[in-house]
Amino acid sequence: MKLLGIGILFICLFALLAIGSETYAKISDIEIEVSLNRDTIGLDEQVILQITVSSSERNLPAPHLPTLPMFKVYSQGRSSNISITNGVVNATLTYRYILTPQKAGTFPIEQVSIVHKNKRFKGNSVELTVLSQGVATPKKLEGSAKDRKGNSRDYFLEASVDKKHPYVGQQVTLTLKFYIAVQNYGSPELSEPSMTGFWSEVIGNKPVYFQRINNRRYKVSERKYALFPTQTGELTIGRAMISATIATRRNTRDPFSMFGNVFGRGKDITVRSDPVTVNVKTLPTKEKPKDFTGTVGKFSITATADKREVEVNQPVTVVFKITGVGNIKSVAEPAIPDLPDFRIYRASSSENTSRVNDKLGGTKIYEEVFIPGRPGDMVIPSIGYNYFDPENRKYQTIKTKPIKISVIKPEGYVAAPQSPFQPNNISIGNEARDIRYIKTDLGDTQPIGQVLIFRPIYIAVNGLPLAILAGLILIRKRREKIHANLGYARSRSALRMARKRLSKASKLSNRETVLDFYAELNSALVSYIADKLNISPHGLTTDKVRELLSERGASEELIADIINIIQKCDYARYAPSTIEQEDIDESLKTVGEVMVGIEGVKFD
Amino acid sequence: MTNRILTVLLVTLICAAATSGQEDIFQTGVKYYQEGNFDDAIKMFSKIEKSGIESAALYYNLGNAYFKSGDLGRAVLYYHRAKRLGPGDVDILNNLEFASQFSKVQMVGVQLNPIEAFLKKTVGSYRLSALGWLLSLFFISFLILLIMKFGLQLYFTGIDAVIISVLCLTILAAGLTAFKYRVDFLDRRAVILAPDAPVYSGPSSNTQLELQGAPGLVVELLQESGDYYNVLLENKRRGWIKKDLVAEI
Repeated sequence: MKLLGIGILFICLFALLAIGSETYAKISDIEIEVSLNRDTIGLDEQVILQITVSSSERNLPAPHLPTLPMFKVYSQGRSSNISITNGVVNATLTYRYILTPQKAGTFPIEQVSIVHKNKRFKGNSVELTVLSQGVATPKKLEGSAKDRKGNSRDYFLEASVDKKHPYVGQQVTLTLKFYIAVQNYGSPELSEPSMTGFWSEVIGNKPVYFQRINNRRYKVSERKYALFPTQTGELTIGRAMISATIATRRNTRDPFSMFGNVFGRGKDITVRSDPVTVNVKTLPTKEKPKDFTGTVGKFSITATADKREVEVNQPVTVVFKITGVGNIKSVAEPAIPDLPDFRIYRASSSENTSRVNDKLGGTKIYEEVFIPGRPGDMVIPSIGYNYFDPENRKYQTIKTKPIKISVIKPEGYVAAPQSPFQPNNISIGNEARDIRYIKTDLGDTQPIGQVLIFRPIYIAVNGLPLAILAGLILIRKRREKIHANLGYARSRSALRMARKRLSKASKLSNRETVLDFYAELNSALVSYIADKLNISPHGLTTDKVRELLSERGASEELIADIINIIQKCDYARYAPSTIEQEDIDESLKTVGEVMVGIEGVKFD
Repeated sequence: MTNRILTVLLVTLICAAATSGQEDIFQTGVKYYQEGNFDDAIKMFSKIEKSGIESAALYYNLGNAYFKSGDLGRAVLYYHRAKRLGPGDVDILNNLEFASQFSKVQMVGVQLNPIEAFLKKTVGSYRLSALGWLLSLFFISFLILLIMKFGLQLYFTGIDAVIISVLCLTILAAGLTAFKYRVDFLDRRAVILAPDAPVYSGPSSNTQLELQGAPGLVVELLQESGDYYNVLLENKRRGWIKKDLVAEI
């Protein structure tokens, strides 16, 4: 019995381990990408075979290369790039091999594989053509390597596309190759060409390699772009430009000229490529599906639901994955038909892009939430998706598999109401079985678009107390100043008092009352000056007046006028008989003018 | 002065007469609706709207009439307009929620800013004018307190604390009023009216189709380019839609 127990325990443990390893094998997903830096080479040239292994595991064995009897194979080393995002490890290992051909012909390179956890992962196959004619240089390239006089160029930039007549939305691969046969300093700087009319993405740079053209060895730097035409007709890819610094040649007999080359400053050069014209074709209208959304490439589609059994009104998330080759970022959402049994919510979308053999592709994921509106066995039907396959020049339709969902009736479930719209399309609780009845009273009306806070009445209601407050504060401030500063009060009332006195003097302005007139005139002027200066009028002599007014910046002319009129008042009081009526009028006028002049003097 | 008073009285009388006329048209619309003649009810209610007058009840009735006549897009549009004028009216809220369920495209809203969500909830059930008068009440109280203290020099114990408290309330009311004004008038929203309303990735039908919109779907208008609006959907995805397929709330 005890042995039986131990046996069962072992079986359980074994089963758990088996399940665990099964799960592990499922999650370990290894992708192998095989590529060559050139498709065609000459017998005396080399090619670089690059194997990129992407996985969620860090420790993987090296890839197993097939037997390549027609080549000498040298390893160029390995590079790795490991990133951890949200706890998920993403490792990319790149292996490079130099292949030197031994024989001309076309050789497929296939069966590159990795064996991991007793499972074999295979890479894609590539094909290499080796030409027997020594060099595999196209005539055009030979022409580009020569200048107008037929001399060999030290450097040049070539731009080429793999397709001259693509369909709209089909990938065109633009290749920029910078050939240089002389020594250069630093890294050449590239100004990318204009790509109007294309949606573009950089595929990447190829490792630098050497190529023999016209019996000269050029170092070749290569950069590729994936371009997707967004409009039809003739589109032009502009000129690319490279700036670099090259070593200058010196023809000298100086035995130390070699140092001249080493320490020379070099020559800055700029080289441009020719523009490239592409004629973009429209997609055929024949057999074009009605719900075609413009997706071009080659794709597959899957749909998976997160659960198969739910209650009415509970969500089921269905993930639609569209995977393939093409402009994955522009892959449109699958068109989901009207499903009377479901409410459908668009939830989110995401994408992963990848590159295989210079072709852009990846996976676009759309998450849609389906909410069943009634109980029963329901089916999310097969959803079709159309795309245009430019290779076969045909529209293709791919479909998801139907998803069965069992919808359970919850407690208190009430069937949907009647309405002008599809009644089964919704699920509604007890409270809302139809719209509520109309209103029979027009209620408060207002002009359309009227906003209370900008109405004059609102601004007035709020502005009035503000104005009252400001007014009261001003009045209070003035009062405080008057109370606090006697001089200020005297200065402010000086003119008023002087005017009173002048008015009194004016009534006395005749020869009979000459003494009283001048006494009043003198008093008016002296009191005015004393008030303005905030001093006592008693004992205010002409010298004192002169001194005080000079200190406050009054003009000499004004001071002289003041002194004159005071002296004239004194003189008139002692010799009244000499005063004529004209003198009286003149004195009255002068005092008025003098006071206006004093008002302009700053006394504070 | 006498002339001015007479003019004001005349304008008031004309307005009163006009409102009385609108009330008659409104009642005719109600009668048509009760008889099940929804198209004529819409004509009557629209007549009042075209005369430049609006009210929550008018928009609500228009929403109902459009709903009953099968125009879901316009029904949702008018319920939203009614909600702006009467945000606390449960009939409006109920019918808006009810009608919105029939839209063939439903969005799961993504609320990115919790503070904005809280503020929207706080001011949601108040009219802009109610908040405006509340702000006015606090502001005038604040000014009266200042007049008492600085203008008339009338003091009472704790006047400073009261002034500061009323000032805080004024600032709070001003903030809420400004936010409500932004939500009601500065944030431009629209409802899709057309049954076939494609949303593209750019302002042209030659660009990628992002989504097939449906009547009743509410979008936020971000910018314009030619015949297209750049719209933000409730799930925070963006796209371009032709202007004549939507109507601004």
